[in-house]
Amino acid sequence: MATNIITAEDRSERVVLEVNRDHNTDRCARLSQVVFRNDLSPGSALDLVCDQEGEVDIVTEVSPADADRVQDSRHARLVTIDANRIVVGIFNTWPEHDGLLTDRRVREALNIAVDHDRLCRETLNGYATPLASLTPSWCNGCFPGAEPRRRDADRARALLNEAGWPEGRPLSIATPASLAGVAEAVARDVRETGLTVDVTSVPDDGLVAGARMLIEKKLVPPWDVLIHAWFDLSSDLPPAVVHREFFGSDGAFRAGPPNAEFDRLFGDLMSRIDPQEARQGAEAIDKWCYDEAAVLSLCAPQALYAVNQHVDFKAYRATFELADTEVSADHWSRRSR
Amino acid sequence: MAAAPAGEVRVFDPHPLNWLFITWNTMEEPVRTDHEGFLAMALAESATWRDELTLEVKVRAGARFQDGDSCTAHSIKQNFDEVQRWAVPHPPGTYLNFHPDAQCDVEDDRTCVFRFPQPDGLVLGKFRGFHIASPSFWHTHGFGYKKTGSGEGHW
Repeated sequence: MATNIITAEDRSERVVLEVNRDHNTDRCARLSQVVFRNDLSPGSALDLVCDQEGEVDIVTEVSPADADRVQDSRHARLVTIDANRIVVGIFNTWPEHDGLLTDRRVREALNIAVDHDRLCRETLNGYATPLASLTPSWCNGCFPGAEPRRRDADRARALLNEAGWPEGRPLSIATPASLAGVAEAVARDVRETGLTVDVTSVPDDGLVAGARMLIEKKLVPPWDVLIHAWFDLSSDLPPAVVHREFFGSDGAFRAGPPNAEFDRLFGDLMSRIDPQEARQGAEAIDKWCYDEAAVLSLCAPQALYAVNQHVDFKAYRATFELADTEVSADHWSRRSR
Repeated sequence: MAAAPAGEVRVFDPHPLNWLFITWNTMEEPVRTDHEGFLAMALAESATWRDELTLEVKVRAGARFQDGDSCTAHSIKQNFDEVQRWAVPHPPGTYLNFHPDAQCDVEDDRTCVFRFPQPDGLVLGKFRGFHIASPSFWHTHGFGYKKTGSGEGHW
């Protein structure tokens, strides 16, 4: 197995981090203490950061739907960053499924059926960037000239006809409930090509079974497209963490047979220890993904934070770190001491 | 000179990688990522390829764990030997694994050398998940050792 599946969390109510005053770089923490609060619901945490001081200073993972609430609040402000996160559609290319998605024309048709700009603007309230392939434009390895495919419903319809998409055969889209809005937006656009689209939203308690099926590759998933979110731990070489996971021979999210061309390109990247050569290898992989329309490229959502007043929080693209977060003398924790 | 640490911040973080973010806020790795997500040296002062199979890592001078123990090239090797014991130590996946036949040799207190059976151009990125813990951590908790009897999936 190439990965683990987290099936449950066992969080302490509060996790307290204390400063290491002996740290010998300029990244020594600027706070005496950080408390992670796990005794709150997302809704109550947002209320506390927006409406008062002293209970919650930072809320991570703010939904785009709540962004205006934060911006309009008396005590909090919204901090955003183009994060190393992606939302894409995985194509089911197992021959045992029925093979329709193995046809590049079908995959391209679905890619040009989607209005990426509208998806980012309306579904994610503007807090996302359209993707051309799998690598966000701010990372190494985004291929030169990469542009998201423009919506062209007529050409999508023609490609589907050319590929022989069976009359009346619906497109099945599965999604975790948390991405149901994205799936519905995709479905709306694809329906305009004439296809019938079924969307199945999987509740949280069904996610583990779906993840096992995808990762273990013993059973063939029933969907044609799975809306899926993933992340990268750095901006240096996305294929190591992203493309490999979607297409590699040991990739957790590969939903089809191993791809010899991808494995060749990835092996070539592995062999490059020179950073410039490695970057070129990463670009070649991202270009291959684009040319093959190997995923339904959708968007890179921003990370949104609600930050209480008197807290100077600096967001990172790849992580949530507090080493350079500080509070002013007016902050509740300093006023009262 | 930076001001002395002051104040407390309370965080609500429902992200499923919260465990990893806490690790990154409490441990160091040979490299970290900057605000833009690009790799920067952290516990490693430098990482230099001697040839395509041999990577020299210089440990930052004067680095210490929270308990006061020095962090040296011996610490890097100890942690390397621990992580190599497991098939899937990192929850995000095996992409963070070093080659099972890779070796780490200590040349002096600040220099260790990684030897790989084949070129690994991704190894600096893997260092991002290579948490370096103190000897007392390994003697007491270990990643999952004490609580679950296994290090699989607990890094």
